[in-house]
Amino acid sequence: MRLNLKAMLLGAAALLATAIAGPLSASAAGDPNTLVVGKAGDVDSMDPAVTVTNNSWTVTYPAYERLVKFKVENGKGSTEVEGDVAKSWTVSDDGLQWTFTLNDGHKFADGSPVDAAAIKYSFDRLFKVAKGPSETVGPVTEVQVVDPHTVKFILKEPFGPFLAGLATNGACIVSPAAQQHEKDGDLGQAYLAEHTLGSGPYQVTSWEKDQQVVMEVNPNYAGPAPSFKKVIVKIIKEASARRLQLEKGDIDIAEDLPVDQFDALKKADGVTVVDEPSFQVTYLYLNNTRKPLDDVRVRQAISYAVDYKGIIDGILLGNGVQMRGPVPEGLWGHDDASFQFTTNAAKAKQLLADAGVKDLKLGYLYSKKDPNWESIGLVLQQNLAAIGITVEMQEFAYPTMREKLNSSDFDIAAGNWTPDYGDPYMFMNYWFDSDLHGLPGNRAFYTNPKVDELIRKAATAANVEERKKIYAEAQKIVIEEAPYVLLFQANYQVAIRSDVKGFVYNPMTLQMFNFETMSRAQ
Amino acid sequence: MSYLNIVRRRLLLLVLVVIGVSIVTFAISHMIPGDPARMMAGERASNELVAQMRAKLGLDRPLYEQYLTYAGDLLRGDLGISIRTQRPVADDILRFFPATIELALAAMIFAIVLGIPLGVISAVAKDRAIDQITRTLSVTGISTPAFWLGLLLIYLFYGRLEWLPGSGRLDSALTPPPFVTGFYTLDALFAGDGKAFVSAVQHLLLPALTLGFLHLGIVTRQIRSAMLEVLTEDYIRTAKASGLSRRRILFDHALRNALIPSVTMIGLAFGDLLYGAVLTETVYAWPGMGNYVVQSINALDFPAIMGFTVVASTAYVLLNLFVDLTYMLLDPQIRGVG
Repeated sequence: MRLNLKAMLLGAAALLATAIAGPLSASAAGDPNTLVVGKAGDVDSMDPAVTVTNNSWTVTYPAYERLVKFKVENGKGSTEVEGDVAKSWTVSDDGLQWTFTLNDGHKFADGSPVDAAAIKYSFDRLFKVAKGPSETVGPVTEVQVVDPHTVKFILKEPFGPFLAGLATNGACIVSPAAQQHEKDGDLGQAYLAEHTLGSGPYQVTSWEKDQQVVMEVNPNYAGPAPSFKKVIVKIIKEASARRLQLEKGDIDIAEDLPVDQFDALKKADGVTVVDEPSFQVTYLYLNNTRKPLDDVRVRQAISYAVDYKGIIDGILLGNGVQMRGPVPEGLWGHDDASFQFTTNAAKAKQLLADAGVKDLKLGYLYSKKDPNWESIGLVLQQNLAAIGITVEMQEFAYPTMREKLNSSDFDIAAGNWTPDYGDPYMFMNYWFDSDLHGLPGNRAFYTNPKVDELIRKAATAANVEERKKIYAEAQKIVIEEAPYVLLFQANYQVAIRSDVKGFVYNPMTLQMFNFETMSRAQ
Repeated sequence: MSYLNIVRRRLLLLVLVVIGVSIVTFAISHMIPGDPARMMAGERASNELVAQMRAKLGLDRPLYEQYLTYAGDLLRGDLGISIRTQRPVADDILRFFPATIELALAAMIFAIVLGIPLGVISAVAKDRAIDQITRTLSVTGISTPAFWLGLLLIYLFYGRLEWLPGSGRLDSALTPPPFVTGFYTLDALFAGDGKAFVSAVQHLLLPALTLGFLHLGIVTRQIRSAMLEVLTEDYIRTAKASGLSRRRILFDHALRNALIPSVTMIGLAFGDLLYGAVLTETVYAWPGMGNYVVQSINALDFPAIMGFTVVASTAYVLLNLFVDLTYMLLDPQIRGVG
């Protein structure tokens, strides 16, 4: 064996020279026909009946249409819905039958019409697949084809948020052509995990895993032809790499950057930072079944001890607001007049003394999943020390933390929550119903029969005004009883190249973009 | 023992190692608290739905039963379906593994091509300025965090100089070459796609440099010390006395013998590279195994974690076998001893 060092070195040098001398091929960004989005995480599955992650919805949302969509008013998205595939609808007096009349002209990318049969197929499939998204849509027992233009949904019980649920990702209408791709009775899941069969403005044409998803215009799309012929969703895990590529103009939209990076980007040339209140709230679960947290005075004392402003200014750099009641600002059912805890250590100490609690030690359960949770814990530790409570930081891997939450094995825990649809049901019914103890929603293990009664009534009432009234009554009780510490509603921030126009922000569709109505200024 | 016998014995050992690894990983990953069924159903799914899902995935059966099913499938080459991506694990691995190997190989080539001459020079010029510089360089290499170096290189070569791209394996506008080896550089050559080849090499350079820099230090140090030892041997003195040229002494005699102990080290270092690629892959959005495994672990995606462990341990054992065989080839004495 003879080592030819010279040849090896020459080879390496040649390779290096080729690479550096070769032109860096013109990037897609800046091209009027192409939009490039930089995301932190890849799509998991593209099957709307399977996926429960926002990362996947970035791709599925524009690839499919739904019966209804969120209204856009004066360039702002609202939580109210209007018809999309559906032209109009009626609901029976008992609230159990919803009949939808369909618009003409909606077609799947394969050219077949979006008719009542296709809608029945999609929803039947959703319930047969029976994964997470099937729960969001509501208690549907049957979908009937009345005629090609009319479809009827039969519900098990009246469900106030039903219409709102039809705007969610699980309600995507899938082409019955999916049946041709069924393998071993999988209802086409293997195929739809990697392909889209929808009638939305775009369809997925290629997916290089963990690298990029390419979407191109659906030639049969019923709406006006989109300006961007192609949308490339690039996966760039590292936040600073995403930021750098945005600044260089290699990507048009950079998602999921830490707040301090946004702060710097606000000063950068050619970049606009969208900064809007979101429905993502951060709160603390107080385990209502553990002593002495089962005493309302102790829970109130903790709520009085927390330095809300300090947390928002210090951790969010001011990009958020303190919550007022469990329903976030901007969502109907939010009550601007409801009581809000303010920092008051003296009052907190008094409440603890009234409850006869001394030398209290509590654990704070959190994980690294949200980097803010650790900082919040440290502030909490300080705040509660001031009123004589020792907080022990308990960090676990996220799956373990979840397990502990579900089995009520904690004192205080950190949590985030975002609604699936724009309805106070997502907060009031999930957080406070005693049937949903644990991960499903009531993570404080709070029980109050009066509240149960009210929120269940609010869920089945068909009239919005009536629902508002009942939720307001329930909110009064749950704010007073303080099962959670309501910390803040964070702002949603996304950085976009300034020449990209037409982005519509909707707090209901975070990470889902209205690509079809966006364009590049020439 | 004959060469063939050694190979046979080692292959048998490989099977045992893989079985052992699969049992241990299976046990550990199923004992970690957490619930993949809930992960799939969504965080706030009802407990009934999660229970249904668990039954569907077979997670409600006794652990040994689950393992036996798994092992049976494994024998047929079926690694199961990933919980997170809903795709066959074997497909995922086939897609992500070559990316990591391509990166690790490029890094290794960089480390060897530069590390061997540097080590030789350093040994010959022991304690002189050039030796000091090389030694400083190798210590820097060993102690620089890949993550930090990666960001630095991106900032310099992509952000400032604009010579090289900042992430991914290929330019967005290009289509990956047809799958042959899974290495974009090689596949592009096979397909005769010059553009894709150039783009693939450009994308490979920075991550390979980042990952390779660490091992450059290791290789340089190893070659240096092996050379120093060899240079004091009698046969070198004999060679010198017999008037052989300095170049022939260094490269034909000294280096060749210094390489023997280095082969094992380099082989093992390659194994480390596979694991060490995780951070580099994150910084450069390199779609390889590192990324895949981290995501799988976060999602408690047992089939994916298992699949990776089985494939990686097989690769590791095969690599060791390969190293040992090369070793024997380099040093005929070992063959005799066996």
